Amino acid sequence: MKFLSRALLATTAVLLFAAPAVSASELTVGFTLDADTLDPANHRKRETETIIRNLYDGILTRDAEMNVVPEIAESFTQISPTVYEFKIRQGIKFHDGSDLTAEDVKFTLDRLTVEGAMGDGQTSPRKSLLGPLASTDVVDAYTIRINLFEPWPILPAQLPFQEVVSKAFVESVGTAGLATQVNGTGPFKLVEWRKGDSIIMERFADYYGGASDIAPVGPACVDRVIFKVIPESASRVAALLAGDVDIINELPAFSIGQVEANPDTTVMSVNGTRSFFVAMNLEGEYFDDIKVREALAHAIDKDLIIDRILGGYASRIEGILSPDAFGSSELPAYAYDPELAKQMLAEAGFPDGIDVTMDVEGAFKDTAEAIASLLTKAGIRTTVAVGEGAQLAEKWRTKGGPKSGDMFFTSWGNGSLDPFDIFIPTHRTADRGNSAGYANAELDAILDAASVELDVAKRAAMYHDAEMIVNHDLPYVYLWVPQDLYGVSTRVSGWQPSADSRINLHDACVN
Amino acid sequence: MSLGKLIERLLQLVPVLLGVSVIAFLMMALTPGDPVQIIIGDQQITAEQEAALRHDLGLDRSIPERFAIFLGNAVTGDFGESFYHRRPVSEVIAERLPATIELSLVALLIALATSIPLGVLAAIRKNSIFDRIATVGSLLGVSLPGFWFGILLLMLFAVNLHILPVAGRIGYSSEIEPITHFLLIDTLLRGRPDAFLDALSHILLPALTLGLPMTAILMRVTRTSMLEVLRQDYVTFAEAKGLSRRRVLFRHALKNALIPTVSVAAIETGSLLGGNMIVETVFGWPGLGRLVVESIFLRNYPLVQAAVLFYAVTYVLLNFFADILYTVLNPRVKL
Repeated sequence: MKFLSRALLATTAVLLFAAPAVSASELTVGFTLDADTLDPANHRKRETETIIRNLYDGILTRDAEMNVVPEIAESFTQISPTVYEFKIRQGIKFHDGSDLTAEDVKFTLDRLTVEGAMGDGQTSPRKSLLGPLASTDVVDAYTIRINLFEPWPILPAQLPFQEVVSKAFVESVGTAGLATQVNGTGPFKLVEWRKGDSIIMERFADYYGGASDIAPVGPACVDRVIFKVIPESASRVAALLAGDVDIINELPAFSIGQVEANPDTTVMSVNGTRSFFVAMNLEGEYFDDIKVREALAHAIDKDLIIDRILGGYASRIEGILSPDAFGSSELPAYAYDPELAKQMLAEAGFPDGIDVTMDVEGAFKDTAEAIASLLTKAGIRTTVAVGEGAQLAEKWRTKGGPKSGDMFFTSWGNGSLDPFDIFIPTHRTADRGNSAGYANAELDAILDAASVELDVAKRAAMYHDAEMIVNHDLPYVYLWVPQDLYGVSTRVSGWQPSADSRINLHDACVN
Repeated sequence: MSLGKLIERLLQLVPVLLGVSVIAFLMMALTPGDPVQIIIGDQQITAEQEAALRHDLGLDRSIPERFAIFLGNAVTGDFGESFYHRRPVSEVIAERLPATIELSLVALLIALATSIPLGVLAAIRKNSIFDRIATVGSLLGVSLPGFWFGILLLMLFAVNLHILPVAGRIGYSSEIEPITHFLLIDTLLRGRPDAFLDALSHILLPALTLGLPMTAILMRVTRTSMLEVLRQDYVTFAEAKGLSRRRVLFRHALKNALIPTVSVAAIETGSLLGGNMIVETVFGWPGLGRLVVESIFLRNYPLVQAAVLFYAVTYVLLNFFADILYTVLNPRVKL
């Protein structure tokens, strides 16, 4: 009997000590896509970036208001039009415990920008994101200088997208190893990557705390973070409602009511960075006439579509730029007026209206149908033609080559919120995203000059001029910038969505 | 079947594979859509930088040149590097394959375990209420779209009843060192019944969704062939001999009635691979189907080419297997 009770006591004691004192807090994100790779220099996808950014930190980052602030850097100054100096913070540790120095930062930037630096003669696919970066010099153990080929005011806006790797680690595991192994300086360490299924991370206890401008500074709040890949949006919503995940991205507008009606979940939104517009084929039989284009602009009731189809979660635009982008400004609006549209069509020589088609990707068919019915009411009888993304892009983005088709309902993203990344590709003559076939030498000159203008006020004024030109010329009917929608469990606190669609979980807590 | 016949059939694989590789390559190369533009996405880029990226991916060469390189490498088992993962596609596919195979096998198991008893029962009780319900049920099973049925199951079992998980292959507390990469087997081999149940709860809904149309098809095949067999003289004779009903049904009738079921099942297993693409997307199942769908939209040529070849080989082998099975079950048939 004595033996039995002792044994029982011992077993209980073992069980008590074996069980963790406090249960680990775990936050799960239901996410649209898996990472392609975990190598920060070897991908071009936003979703991959979002995952990597919780494991690695950058030289600079962005706060909730999208201001660029130092992260690994302590401070940065522009010492000449083409030279930037960055002071690197001391005491930053990689996940393996080694110290981060200026050598690692130089190595990171070289790996991104030097031809063939990825090994096997390969160049980083992210090289173009750093534009005219010529070279990086180490000044001392905690100072680097970035030299540019030409003045490039966008450098600080682009650096938050580049994460710092450990030179010693990359040299030991190689580019092949870096695809699946992580030794970053971010708030979380990699535990396991179950490819196609999930990425599991845990808190990095020796984290330096992150950007000092973004409170709270210190190690992450939760013990574990899991990015669980659920590509189908209905399933992502189901996982949130079932309590399997705490945050989901790309909440479809038609599920807003469902998530709001559930007492344990809520909808969070943030201004997005993707501008939607209808491209008109300026070489086509109707849209070479500005009257017809103006008629189109007056025939679309943007507010109605934003209200009914996008759940109210979008901002109207009258030019290409998002209201949050650098250089955006008040522009004249084309009011909804179908009678005026009819009248303008008649003035253009089409008193009986016109018959046109509008190409669209399957995902946006509903919105395109709504636009088409509004246009049809105003005499622009529109048939919606659904196509596949890559095929439509090739049909419309011909870089100045001849094209067929009347209209294309499409969009362009602007994660940097700097106009150069959206204005130039979509509007400069024969550029890669110019689906209207628009060509205006005056605008080209302004865009080229603005790209290298260092005076912030002057540069903003230049983009205002550019916006006024396209608002008048109407190569596109500019529609709206939808907000990014997230479904969030009420367990989560301290987290808010970010306009660049990063999901930064450093400050997120779960109850 | 003789060994000579077997080898002959295997050799027939060679021209099939060659044909499939030509088609897979040309379909990707000739489909509109430029992989380089898709990779760059919504960014500003100079013409030189774009050209450099095209060169790195080997897309600056002519189509015949690219085909020669593809074929030359493919015969040595090198299918190139995925444009996105930046690793050999064979490696990327191998990582995702076990999940797809496991799901297909469980779906097949479910289909066989339900369709045969139901089919037999429907045949024995021909024109009864049960038979009618089963016939209507099988019609529904074939016609319900997988993504819709899957989401209905999710809403019922995961969201409303909270008894099964929504997505994934296994929970996060169950970390299992892989042996066969089939989780249902590995968890048992590692002596982790808790993890086995966890994996089972994850695979149940996707396997049901995937297996349902197959259940419906197999049930109808079984019913028809059972009815056929029951009309045969030898069955009447067996009954006349005074054998028990059970003995007649299971020893004499079912054995012969299952021949078409088995061969249809072997061929239909090939189409499970296709159905996987939708089911894997709905249930966040980390298999090959979803990877291939994503890769098609991204024009990830090397991955799609390798995957199409893989599907073709599997399909041909399954057909081959069905033929062999047919001759084993029915010795009167010769290949």
